This record gives sequence, structure tokens and C-alpha cells, in this order.
Amino acid sequence: MATTIGHVEEVTLGGAEVHADTRSFVRKYIFSTDHKIIGIQFLIMSLIFLLLGGVLAMVIRWQLGFPKQPMPMGGVLPETMAPGGVVLPEFYNSLVTMHGTFMVFFAIMPLLVGVFGNYLIPLKIGAPDMAFPRINMASFWIAVPAGFLMLAGFFVEGGHAAAGWTSYAPLSERADLSGVSMGQILWCISLIVLGLSSILGSFNYITTIINMRAPGMWWFRLPLSIWSLFVTAILVLLAMPILSGAIIMLLFDQTIGTHFFGPAQGGQPLLWQHLFWFFGHPEVYILILPAMGMASDIIANGARKPIFGYTSMVLAILGIGVLGWGVWGHHMFMSGMNPTLGTQFMISTMLIAVPSAIKVFNWLGTMWMGNIRFHVPMLHAMAFVSMFTIGGLSGIFMAATPVDIYIHYTYFIVAHLHYVLFGGSLFAIFAAVTFWYPKMFGRMMSPFWGRVHFFLTFIFYNLVFFPMHNLGLHGHMRRIYDPTQYDFLKPVQPINELISISAFLLFATQLIFAVNFIVSWFKGAKAPENPWEDNGLEWTVPSPPPHGNFVTVPQVYRAPYEYSSPFVTEDFLPQNRELPEAAPSAAPHS
Amino acid sequence: MAHAGALHDEDVMLPPPGREPGAGVYNEKLGMWVFLGSEIMFFTALIGTYIILRVAHPTAWKAPGEVLAVPITAINTFLLICSSVTMVKAFAAVQDGNLSGLRKWLIATVLIGSTFVGVQVYEYRHLIEKGFVPSEGLYGSTFYTMTGFHGFHVTIGVICLIFVTWRAFQGRYSAKDYRGVEVIGLYWHFVDLVWIILFTIVYLI
Amino acid sequence: MEEVKHAPHPNYIAVFIALGVLTGLELFIAFLPWSQMTRVLILIGLAVWKAVMVALYYMHLRFEPQRLRWLAVAPLPLAVILVFIVTREFRW
Repeated sequence: MATTIGHVEEVTLGGAEVHADTRSFVRKYIFSTDHKIIGIQFLIMSLIFLLLGGVLAMVIRWQLGFPKQPMPMGGVLPETMAPGGVVLPEFYNSLVTMHGTFMVFFAIMPLLVGVFGNYLIPLKIGAPDMAFPRINMASFWIAVPAGFLMLAGFFVEGGHAAAGWTSYAPLSERADLSGVSMGQILWCISLIVLGLSSILGSFNYITTIINMRAPGMWWFRLPLSIWSLFVTAILVLLAMPILSGAIIMLLFDQTIGTHFFGPAQGGQPLLWQHLFWFFGHPEVYILILPAMGMASDIIANGARKPIFGYTSMVLAILGIGVLGWGVWGHHMFMSGMNPTLGTQFMISTMLIAVPSAIKVFNWLGTMWMGNIRFHVPMLHAMAFVSMFTIGGLSGIFMAATPVDIYIHYTYFIVAHLHYVLFGGSLFAIFAAVTFWYPKMFGRMMSPFWGRVHFFLTFIFYNLVFFPMHNLGLHGHMRRIYDPTQYDFLKPVQPINELISISAFLLFATQLIFAVNFIVSWFKGAKAPENPWEDNGLEWTVPSPPPHGNFVTVPQVYRAPYEYSSPFVTEDFLPQNRELPEAAPSAAPHS
Repeated sequence: MAHAGALHDEDVMLPPPGREPGAGVYNEKLGMWVFLGSEIMFFTALIGTYIILRVAHPTAWKAPGEVLAVPITAINTFLLICSSVTMVKAFAAVQDGNLSGLRKWLIATVLIGSTFVGVQVYEYRHLIEKGFVPSEGLYGSTFYTMTGFHGFHVTIGVICLIFVTWRAFQGRYSAKDYRGVEVIGLYWHFVDLVWIILFTIVYLI
Repeated sequence: MEEVKHAPHPNYIAVFIALGVLTGLELFIAFLPWSQMTRVLILIGLAVWKAVMVALYYMHLRFEPQRLRWLAVAPLPLAVILVFIVTREFRW
């Protein structure tokens, strides 16, 4: 099935896949239909938003650690945000809103789904590109205006959206209450546009994984990174439209006077919460599943052992994907919703801890007695497992409704979400970026600076987020502008200071990663085809791979994690390597 | 129709050759069905909201026919179903290699589809003149949002149909490759299907 | 004329007539003096019947591989869960 654009046969299946590349510079790097380039484009965009989200966090932490003090360099901010460098309460509300919004929608989600979904899926399944390369290109170029729209909110009158990243109605639709009108509207429009980009991407990924696996790449021979991206894409496909619908209704309430969520004429504020979280809970699995999948690939590689319990890992991914639709009400235990529903959601939420726990035990089982290589990706992946476990454990506290009565909307929740999103997703992202960097750019990142970055990040990260558990249990609420206004919070203000100082150091440490990333692009050691001695199909092609990926269609013979196989002298055995006689897998895998 | 093992390498109406068996259909058809899954969820948000709000606050609605014009919308519903027939006739025509039939039925679909949109717009103007506007309580809010987004999807469908019709006139489809016709057909039937549900629950209940 | 290999066409006109009849039936029932619950159930049942016919015959699901049929209906349980649970919110 050939589609011709310009003067090059873009993609052919069944025959020679790589052709001489006569595309122009613009076609090759700007308006490219090559999944690898699109993945890198998403990488650049997401890393910029990750940085912006981090900057917003620094301002938040300044205000929390040193309330109402003038911020260093705060003079650059306009009077409407921070007169004299002192953050205004209204601006603080925008800060917490936009920190969450940037991080969830424009950093973590595109990093996991847009970058690694795009980059890894065709390569790891043995395909020359996605099923619909032009729609893939559209997906990126639609995300870009969404990003600009979201940034634009800072520059409009009334400031940016300030109702939290969850944008609860009626606050989010009452400019008279929030003080924000245009910013909130821009927030809505930006996410609708981004939703379109995500949906286009997701049906591309799903079609590609179903229909374009290379011969021999059976479903139960897919690497876990691909399984997780597949289930994630299904979650994106089915959950994002709910958000789009809800935001459209919110937008109509804001602009044309409809009454979906405003109580005045029968609207229901709780309806917004139900719709938002019906999307929102699958969304958090979207934010963790690809991280889990890639961590599995990296841990098997680092341990030089097959993944322990591959089948149960797949079933756990599927289980999370299915169960994740039935737990959304646990975000609403304190909303005044029907208590019977509360009980139902408590039970379903406790159930969903099981597949995640299975995965943690299997990662441990993979490392157990392994001949571990502590390369930088492995360090980050191990941090992922341990930090995600802590985040998951705090989640069990919240799942129990009677406990949640006390800890809802406190810093205990903030601790939990950062343990799973930073401790989980972001460490996995650091692992994945470092791991696949050589394949993407043909260069190795500096291992030394990678280790320095890892250890400093790990230490400062725990100093920032672990004490938040204590703050929350003490009663410190979320999204609060000045904790010292309450007498009962004054004794814990030193903890806030500790957290803030650690946060500044944590942010500064990320400079190491940024410099390592940028400098290695030009000056890093040239990467061989398979620097990590990994089994995936992507490591059987040059670094970076040519347009079309594979010269001939790979033939897959075995499961993805045949490390330390007794049938070969090396401690790895690529999926497409043919052995003289049919060698069964070292580990029982199906 | 779909079976493993293409007749020859370039049989584009079958799943991609030389790959592990997947859904058993070619990529574009699989892609459209997957995409329609997201559309089902989008309309679930809007129609689900309507159902939820109506169950919560039933007195905010009027009896069928009191505000909305059922007769003309019933005719419009019938028209949209007709356009599904013309669409499927176009599909059947190209399957049989009848290219002039394809063109004829595609044009008919475009015309009937455009008429549907036109009648909807006319109805909106009429309702707004009568004072039934989106801010008219829950009734107005849900009515305009559901039917408005349905109309928006029909409009996108008409635009895509015009594009497909133009390609048909350029001779881009044949009995050996009618993917574009089948795929736009699936979208068009889906839009009709949503209207079948909408007409009943919005106008007749 | 190319060799044509596809399943025989279903009777599209018969389906069209069925859809027309069902629509007419709906219009008739909508204005009968029956209880709201009865009319709602019957009308929704008729609408779903029509929708299924469009899906099976016009969208050809009847003739597609089993896997595709499962794929097509997969989102429906989610829609049911959302609407059912949230109506419980407003009708205890």
C-alpha cells in the first residue's frame, strides 16, 4: 500500500522499505510524516513545557516557603501578577492551575504518548512507519497551536485560568467569582484543540499496532512498552472525547449562556465533576502506563533477565485499562455525591491496586538474581519502581473513603500525585530519554553527568515531596496562598521552607540534564547500533534509523526479553535473530 | 470479503500484506472504525448529559411538539436516511465497477446531505425567532448543543463527500480500490445513526 | 470489466423501507396517550433497532470479521456505565 508524496515512495509494505531519500529540508524536518521526526518534534515541544511547568512550580514554592516576600527577579513580572515581586493571590490561583495544566497536558502526556508512542511503535513492531503518516504529522501540527493558545492566557486581561487544572464549575464559568474570563475561555479552546491532536494520534497508534506487526510479532511477543502504549492509546481514544464534550459545555456556559453546570436554572455542578473525572481517571493511567511499559523494557535490559511474569504483566496492563473506567468517583468522595456511589467507588479503587502491585512484584522478580548493569536508564527505572510504589501506597489511604474525608484536598494528595507523576512518570521519562537517545540522535548522553543528575534529582525530589505527606496529615490544604494565615499551620511552616529550598535545588539540578541533552546532540560519543545490547527490533537498525526503518521486513522468532539465553554466547538474543535450529525461549513466556 | 493471503501484492482492499494478521481489514477501514469509537464517546458526553439532566430535572422539558417542529424534522430525518441509501448505493456501484453510478449516487448524497443541513439551519432560525435559545434553561442548552454538534459533524461529512465526489470524477476509484468511498460511507452512516437516536430522544420524548 | 470479488450486496432498499416504517411507527407512538415510561421504552427500543440495522447492513458489520464487530461495539459499555452511574447521582 503505497502513498506517494512529493518525489519519494513514502511507505511500502511487503517489499523493500527503505528508499533513497530525496525529500526537501522542510519535508524532512518540519512538515515530516516520518514518525521518528514527529516523535522528536513532540520531544522538543514537551521539554519546553516541562521547563515552563517547572518555572511555575518555583514561583509557587517561593510563595509557600516565604509567603508575601518579594521574589528574586520577581520585578520582571507585571503589576497584575506580582507587584514589587510579591505574588498576588489571584496570580497564585493561576499558577497552581497552569502548573497542573502544563505538566499534565503539555509535558507528561505528550512525552509519554506523543514522543515514545510515535518513536517506538513502528520500530518495535517492525513496521516502516505508522498506518497514517500524514495524519500523524497533522497530530503534531495541531498540538502546536493548542500550546500557543494555552500560553496566550497569561497575556490577556484578567489573567490566565485560575480554577485549578480540574476547572470545577461553577467557579470556572463565573468570571464574576474567579475574576478570570478570557483566560478560562482560552484554556477551554486550547484543550479542545489538543484533544483533537490526541485523538488523531490514538487511532493511528491503535491501527498500526493491530494491523502492521511484522511477521512473527505475535500479540504475546510484543514488548511491554508497546502493550502499554496500545492500551494507553485506547484510553486516549475513548476518554479524551468525554473531556472535549465537557469542556464544550463549559465553554457554552461561559459564552452563550447555557446552563449545564450552573445551579441557577437546574444545571448541576456535580455533573462537571463526574464528566471531568470520567475522563480524568483514565487520564492518570494514560500518564503511568507507558512509563510502566518502558520501565519494563529497561529493567529487563539492565537486569539481563527476561521480565518476570510477562503474561501477568500483559494481563495487568489490560486489567488497569479496563478497571480504570470504574473508579473515577474516588476523586469525588468529598463532593457531596451519592454515598452509595462512594462505597462502590471505594471498592473498585481498592481492586485496581492489585494489577499495579502485581507489576511491582514482577519488576522486583526481574531484578532478583539478575546480573545488573547499573547504567543511567536502569538507575532511573529502579527509582521509578520504588517511588511509584510509595505513590501507590499513599493511594490506598485515599481509596478508603473514611480516611479520605480527612486527607482530601490536603498536601497528602499533592504528595501522592507527585510521587506517581514525578517519582513514577518523570523518572521513567528520564530513563526512556536516556535509553533511546542514542537511537534518536546517533549519540550517547554523558553517563557521568547522567549519574550526577540522577542522584541529585533523587535526593532533592524526596526532600521536596516526602514531607508533603506530613504537611497533609497536619491539615495543610491544597492551593492555599498563604499557609501562615492559620495558626495551626504556623508550626509546619519550616517544613514548607525546607520543601521550597529543596525544590529550588531540584529545579537547578535539571539544568544538568538539559545541558547533557543539548551538548550530547552535537558532541556526544557516536552511538553504535545497539549500545545497550537490547533485544528490541529498533536496535537492529542504524542509530538513527533511515526513513522507512528496515531494509527488509523483519521476521520475528521469539519473545522480547530473551536475555541470558542458554542458546547463545551473548547475554542477549534479539527478537529477529534466526538460530540454526529452532531454539525455544529460555523462559516460559506464554 | 477479507481473507488471509492477498490475490496479489497490491490488493489494497485487503489487510496489509506480509504482516501478522490483525483485524482482517485494510488499514483505512480499521482506522475509521477506531475513530468512530472516539465519536461514540463524544456523543455519549453530550447525549449522556442530556439524559442525566433530564432524569434529574424532568420538569425543565416540554412535551413533544410543543416547542420543536416534529413534522418538518421527521421529513428531515427521512431525508438523512435517504442519503444513507444513496451513499450505500454509491458504494455498491463502485464495488461492481459501475463508475458512472458511483458519481451519480455520490452527487445525490451530497445534495441530500446539504439539504438536511439547510433545513436544520432554517429550523434553528425559526426557533430562535420564537424565543427558544440556548440559554433557555436546560431544554435549550441540551437541544442546541446536541443537535448543533450533530449538524457540525454532518457539515464536515458533506465537505468530505464533496472531496470524495471530486476524486470520483477524477477517476480515482475503481472496483480494485474504493477505500475512500467505503471510509467516507462509514462516517456518513455513523452520522445518520446518531441522528436516528437524537431524533427519537430529542423530538419524540 | 475487472473481476469483482465481494460479498453479494444485501438488499439495501428493503432495509430502507424497514427504516421508513419504523420511523413512521415512532411518530405514531410518540403522540399516543400512553404513560411516559411506556412510550420512552418503546421509542428507544425502535430507535436502537433502526441504529442496529444501519450498523449491520449499511456499515456492513454483518459481513465483517468478528474482530471488527467486537471493536465497533467496545465503547458502548463505557457509555452505559457513565450514564447509568451518574443518573444514580441525581436519583438516589
